[in-house]
Amino acid sequence: MLEIKNLHANVEGEEQEILKGVNLTIKPGEVHALMGPNGSGKSTLAKVIAGHHDYEITDGEILFEGEDLNELDPDERAHLGIFLAFQYPVEVPGVTNNTLLRESYNTIATSRGREELDPIEFDDYLTQKLELVDMKRDFLERSVNTGFSGGEKKRNEIFQMAVLEPRLALLDETDSGLDIDALQVVADGIKKMRNKENAFLLVTHYQRMLNYIVPDIVHVMIGGKIVKTGDKELAMQLEEKGYDWLESLATVNGEKDA
Amino acid sequence: MKRSINNKSVLHKLTGEVENADHPLMKQIREEGVRKLEETRFPTSRDEEWRFLDLKPITRTDFVPSDQAGSKPIDNPEHYFIPESDSSRIVFVNGRFDRELSSVDGLPEDLIAGNIRDHLDHPAVKSYLNKLVNYEDDPFTSFNSSFFKDGGFIYIPEGVTVDHPIQLLNLYSDAEKEYFATPRVLVVAEPEATATIIEDHIGVAGNKYLTVPVTEFKLYQKAHIHHVRIQRDSRKAVHVSRPITYLEKHAEYHSYTITLGGKLTRNEPRVIQEEEEVSFTVDGLVLIDGEQIADTHSLLDHRFSHAESHQLHKVVVKEHAHSIFNGKIFVRRDAQKIDSFQENRNLLLSEEGQVNTKPQLEIFADDVLCSHGATIGQLDPEEVFYLESRGMTKEKAKEVLTYAFALETIENIKVESVHKLLIEEVKRYTSAEKSETVSA
Repeated sequence: MLEIKNLHANVEGEEQEILKGVNLTIKPGEVHALMGPNGSGKSTLAKVIAGHHDYEITDGEILFEGEDLNELDPDERAHLGIFLAFQYPVEVPGVTNNTLLRESYNTIATSRGREELDPIEFDDYLTQKLELVDMKRDFLERSVNTGFSGGEKKRNEIFQMAVLEPRLALLDETDSGLDIDALQVVADGIKKMRNKENAFLLVTHYQRMLNYIVPDIVHVMIGGKIVKTGDKELAMQLEEKGYDWLESLATVNGEKDA
Repeated sequence: MKRSINNKSVLHKLTGEVENADHPLMKQIREEGVRKLEETRFPTSRDEEWRFLDLKPITRTDFVPSDQAGSKPIDNPEHYFIPESDSSRIVFVNGRFDRELSSVDGLPEDLIAGNIRDHLDHPAVKSYLNKLVNYEDDPFTSFNSSFFKDGGFIYIPEGVTVDHPIQLLNLYSDAEKEYFATPRVLVVAEPEATATIIEDHIGVAGNKYLTVPVTEFKLYQKAHIHHVRIQRDSRKAVHVSRPITYLEKHAEYHSYTITLGGKLTRNEPRVIQEEEEVSFTVDGLVLIDGEQIADTHSLLDHRFSHAESHQLHKVVVKEHAHSIFNGKIFVRRDAQKIDSFQENRNLLLSEEGQVNTKPQLEIFADDVLCSHGATIGQLDPEEVFYLESRGMTKEKAKEVLTYAFALETIENIKVESVHKLLIEEVKRYTSAEKSETVSA
């Protein structure tokens, strides 16, 4: 589904390379965790996949279903079924959740050859999805993220994901800033959405979330590269030992490249 | 050839057209108007209060009185009627009262809403007409005083609540010549009177005209007035307006000015506190593009203690448009416990557009809370990306965010059809790929 080959990227207009040759393959039905210390480039990778304008790909490629994403605008990537749950969801005063979701849903549906839903059908559809993340109806009429608490914003991202039913969901530190209850709700939401056709990439600093969602594959990113890949045991090891024992791996690889 | 130094502008040259008045009050107002006009120099952009503003659209045109302009009839004036004001509507065409289009049957019996010319002997008219308007060295108010023949007069007796909004509809017709209009309004709200007034200025064709509305409001104790002003003049029009409001104790005045049309707009709202404990709002929304210029010079004068004032002035500039904001807030020496909020937020969406902003606080009291701020910015790229990542094109995302930016100011307008109409106007503005460009 997603194939990243030797991806190099930096902030547009700046010399400093942030991604230094990332390789990653995600298949349908898989849940991947991407872990790493702060500043390792894991959030950048999620944003680059989604098409954030601040970053520039200098080498390598990202293929989604065989299509080169670098050629596509962020909205076109969304149409293909890529979804980014933001680390810092943006407030959009004046636009209700309902309006945003209907607009998004119908645009994506049309581009994927599905039927648009009329307002009544859409309302029914939203009602089901609200239950998934344990949110009240009045939430729909509130402006997107405006005045929301940190937890509400994160839950809203999961709600949007549930509504848009992406093929590949990138969750950028969705667990940070969540209390245990909210984390449980978010994790349950993801578990219910999981199926054979879709895939998840959970970008996270902590192992905590992985107690609720068991990943198939765990990657550790340090210094702009994936330095180790393993199963859920790797996450446990990280919880115990931190990232220090892997730092040398990053340096060694870095020197090999140089 | 160089113009003479005494600055005989088009306004001054027109004093020869001033007609004699029969009624002593009108005679007095006109004579005073002409005298003051002749004493006042026409401003230039070298004057501090007129910096940044190019007045050529006024000075280079020979405007004629509207009744000499060969004006054409208006098709479908009903189109501009607000349904809620079905029987509470006063209509002016090119500044002249139109009895047929007006309808005031639905108003409470002791309330007066009509042409000021029919009420010159009313005590409120005698007391306040032309007495409230107070703009220093200003030829435009004197010009209006010299020429107005008709005007809106609304008198709300003590304790009366007007259920329906009153629409003051100003239509400007197409004409053979470029003309000027001098709309005039006097609103007197007696103690505990409550009303909503929708003042609408609409150019029905694309022609050039000059309108100089002067609006005087007097609110007695505990009177509550909502005042919505919508400026939808033609894209070649010049609109210079002076709305001024006086507030007695516990009076509340909330105004929302929406500026959409006009080639050149200069709006100078003033609110003057006459007693303690008042509350007022002077919000504005300006949406301009093409070659439009919109200039707001406001003055909120806190003269006594315990006043709450709110001024949110939001501006969106596209293409070559130019916005100017100068917001004066006075807090006089004896005016303690003032809570005053002022914010001017500008969204500049083009390289060629221009924004000048100047909050101007003059505070002489010590126990006051005044917050003020001015920002000029583009759309936040992070917000644009957020919406793109949800499947919207970049253009659509920008449109949605601009719409959201503008919406805040009109949320407080409670008249449903007006609220809806303004939402449509905001949508039209934000979605216009390329607006029609009209130059003067």
